[in-house]
Amino acid sequence: MSGEARPLLEAVGVSKRYRVGNHLLARFNKVVHAVEKVSLAVQEGETLGLVGESGCGKSTLGRCLTRLYEVSDGHILFEGTDITVLGARALRALRTRMQMVFQDPAASLNPRRRVGELIAEPLIVHRRGTRAEIAARVRALLREVGLLAEHAERFPHEFSGGQQQRIGIARALALAPRLIVADEPVSALDASVQAQIVNLFMDLQERLGLTYVFIAHDLSVVRQVSTRVAVMYLGAIVEIGPTDEVLSAPSHPYTQALISAVPVPDPAAPNRRRIILEGDVPSPIDPPPGCPFHPRCGYATERCRSERPVLSEHGRGWDVACHFPLNGS
Amino acid sequence: MSGDRPGSIEAGPILEVRDLAVSFRTERGLVRAVDGVSLTLGEREILSIVGESGSGKTLTVLAVMGLIRDPNAIVEGSIRFRGRELVGLPDGEMRRVRGGAIAMIFQNPMTALTPVYAIGRQIAEQVRAHRPLSRRAAARRAIELIEAVGIPNPAGAAQRFPHELSGGMRQRAVIAMALSCDPALLLADEPTTALDVTVQAQILDLVRKLRADFGSSVILITHNMGVVAEIADRVAVMYAGRIVERAETAALFREPRHPYTLGLLGSIPPLEGARPRRLPAIPGTPPSPFAIPEGCPFGPRCRWREAACAVRPELVAEGGHETACILTKEARAAARAQSLAVTAGAA
Amino acid sequence: MLFVLVGISATVFLIFFATPGADPAARIAGRNATPETVAAVRKEFGLDKPLPVQYAMMMDHLLVTQDLTSFVNRGEKIVPEIVEAAPVTLSLVLGAAVIWVVFGVVVGLVAAAFKDTLIDRGLMVGSLIGVSMPVFWLGEVVNLLTQSRLHGTFFFAWVPALGYVPLRQSPLGWFAALVLPWITLAVLYIGIYGRVLRANLIEALNEDYIRTARAKGLSDWQVLTRHALRCSLISFVTMFGLDFGALVGGGALLTEVVFGLQGVGALTYRALEDLDLPMIMATVIYASFFVVVSNAAVDILYAAIDPRVRER
Repeated sequence: MSGEARPLLEAVGVSKRYRVGNHLLARFNKVVHAVEKVSLAVQEGETLGLVGESGCGKSTLGRCLTRLYEVSDGHILFEGTDITVLGARALRALRTRMQMVFQDPAASLNPRRRVGELIAEPLIVHRRGTRAEIAARVRALLREVGLLAEHAERFPHEFSGGQQQRIGIARALALAPRLIVADEPVSALDASVQAQIVNLFMDLQERLGLTYVFIAHDLSVVRQVSTRVAVMYLGAIVEIGPTDEVLSAPSHPYTQALISAVPVPDPAAPNRRRIILEGDVPSPIDPPPGCPFHPRCGYATERCRSERPVLSEHGRGWDVACHFPLNGS
Repeated sequence: MSGDRPGSIEAGPILEVRDLAVSFRTERGLVRAVDGVSLTLGEREILSIVGESGSGKTLTVLAVMGLIRDPNAIVEGSIRFRGRELVGLPDGEMRRVRGGAIAMIFQNPMTALTPVYAIGRQIAEQVRAHRPLSRRAAARRAIELIEAVGIPNPAGAAQRFPHELSGGMRQRAVIAMALSCDPALLLADEPTTALDVTVQAQILDLVRKLRADFGSSVILITHNMGVVAEIADRVAVMYAGRIVERAETAALFREPRHPYTLGLLGSIPPLEGARPRRLPAIPGTPPSPFAIPEGCPFGPRCRWREAACAVRPELVAEGGHETACILTKEARAAARAQSLAVTAGAA
Repeated sequence: MLFVLVGISATVFLIFFATPGADPAARIAGRNATPETVAAVRKEFGLDKPLPVQYAMMMDHLLVTQDLTSFVNRGEKIVPEIVEAAPVTLSLVLGAAVIWVVFGVVVGLVAAAFKDTLIDRGLMVGSLIGVSMPVFWLGEVVNLLTQSRLHGTFFFAWVPALGYVPLRQSPLGWFAALVLPWITLAVLYIGIYGRVLRANLIEALNEDYIRTARAKGLSDWQVLTRHALRCSLISFVTMFGLDFGALVGGGALLTEVVFGLQGVGALTYRALEDLDLPMIMATVIYASFFVVVSNAAVDILYAAIDPRVRER
């Protein structure tokens, strides 16, 4: 990476494994390799897009980054401090500087509490001022996300999906965090509302100097918001680099296939050489040996089947995990 | 309508919907969720209905299937399938059509199949509901269908339970089941929305292939304009229970006329080309059926609203391209230019 | 399972000795026994040994040598008594179970199919009544009507006297003697099972796969019985397993006593009244065994009903 300033957030060799199954002896349960030795860095003020399909581990990684899940291996550094070893008190302090926004706004807002209470809660828990000060801040936050101050008196179910997501964002902003990890924040919304929320994210970033890790499966949305993008497959990052370069000239065959699979809203577009991948997105329970993508890769060779490629430098600030990257390096 | 397309069969339309209205009796009074929708569908034609929540697109299609079971629902208007009126048909007769000549697939493949029966058996069940086949013959047909939709190892797959299959495979199984009785009309409600994009590409490919092989007409509901561009012959855009624009796909994308369509197309972040600094998003949210504005339902959110919009505009055709908007041709061109200008404000 | 049985029996043992007035030596010795007699009895029965030893001895007599004798009725051997009582309980419970499963399913299905109509409401009210009637009260009322008040009438003239008729002796008599106890016992359970099944069915009917089933062109009844029912059986089966196991183990004691059936339940009842530890111990272990076995059986049955459970 361009090693100028210290990155705001850094993941070093992060892995997360789960056991699934009901065997009496836990040892015999299957292991899900949700995240497999992921390393990445996010500079302050930028947006790292994390993109991939089901089972790729992006949501799990997102939760590990905010320590909502404990990692199985590796370290995560936020502002230079290793957050994987923090005790409870320090962890609470951490939470004020790093927040999450979730996919399903209806599910992440307590339906029995008024909106104002939901947004005020982080402020109350961390004792950020008197009641009057907190109330004023809640009103300011609502305005910041495009809602009205009087909305504080209503309940979540009285709002549309897009508005509920705005409430979730307001709550995340309450403690003025430096970093927000957004896990599929617009996937559950209607198309026209998605655009509004995407705009909101970008506006807030400009106004408040936020840094984002933006997790999504929709490449178009990721392209719009991200300065850099990381493509994940079966728990590993297969390509990471500047958004425009990665998406216009992908080096990893999976990135290429992913891009070509997105339907283009233009019937007049020349009939693209569509790469239709065979088979399904595999399950992270039994990852294949060698390169995780080789069973579906059109360019797979013997080496791909036996030797697992490591993320290596492909260009400036651009890494690919492939033995035969598409654009040569 | 269908005669305009090159290579079309000059047959009568397979489906003719006229002034379809679906209302619900609620505590707050009568609510119109579908408000006067008319459409026709020719043979082997793929019509896409585009809309967001509250547009009435799902209810329209459920009405065709006769699957609106709410005792407080009132379905009015005419739905003619191959000349036969479906509205008001007794359920016993409708059941013969449902799953037979008209089949439907739903949005979420993960929960669409009964978890306790193998997929082969579920497909065979539909076959036997409409054809006098023996169990063995139906099972054989199920395996044929499973193969036709591209599921590997068809005989083995027929014994699998839904939870043993991935989302993409389940959706294929659902499609196989829907096609089991060679339906003339296939209704698909957001069939790819819940799937990964690479799997979505496979399913869309499959639908195209099946249209060619099986000859069914398809109504495909989606909110993804990319999917529409890829697969639809014609598009109908719905808003607040009404159709606000309808045209052949190429025409709609080349020259979108209704401000809502303009807005929808504009709010898609482009995957190629210049990146807009801000997406031209339509302000506000789609209205709930309880609170549909007077006059043009899109009025409150429309940039080009005028006094005349206080009167609900009718769907007017201009050379095969219908729009429910009072904007003149020149005003429309200006509106389009405005939209594009915003989009072109590159990153 | 062994663990559970050992644990239960030890607990019973301890509870017994903590119960006031349960000094077995005094009971065995009889009233007005002199302290010397009581001491002698204590020694003879090993009741002066430490508790764990007594426990071990009792278990030995019960399970190994099978010559455990009652504290209360001297010379009465426990194990043969239980063996004789078991078929009675089994007959009662099996018959009742068949009735309550069949009718419970019917009630649940019909109520769900006619949801919110008079039929549904009527069935639910009836179920509630069935659940609310204490079985001993219902039993006594049935007896009152069939044995005395209306015995002379055509309806109930066939009702035999209270008590069990072994199957081998007279199948018809066996049946006649058990019909009313079956129905009485089943009434309570039909109520519970009907209500639970109805709730589960209504929930299942909102699922996506039901919508698909309807879209296939199946009739409402087919959708209900083929798709919704199969997916709603889990609760039903769980409850059934537990209830059946408990009843076979002697849980129907009130019914047995009211109808004069000398089953394991009646034995338990007597033992508790008399504070006869060996009998109590024996019946408790017998009951626990069946509860544990039925739990295991239910787990196996799950896998048969719901394939999602099969892959561990």
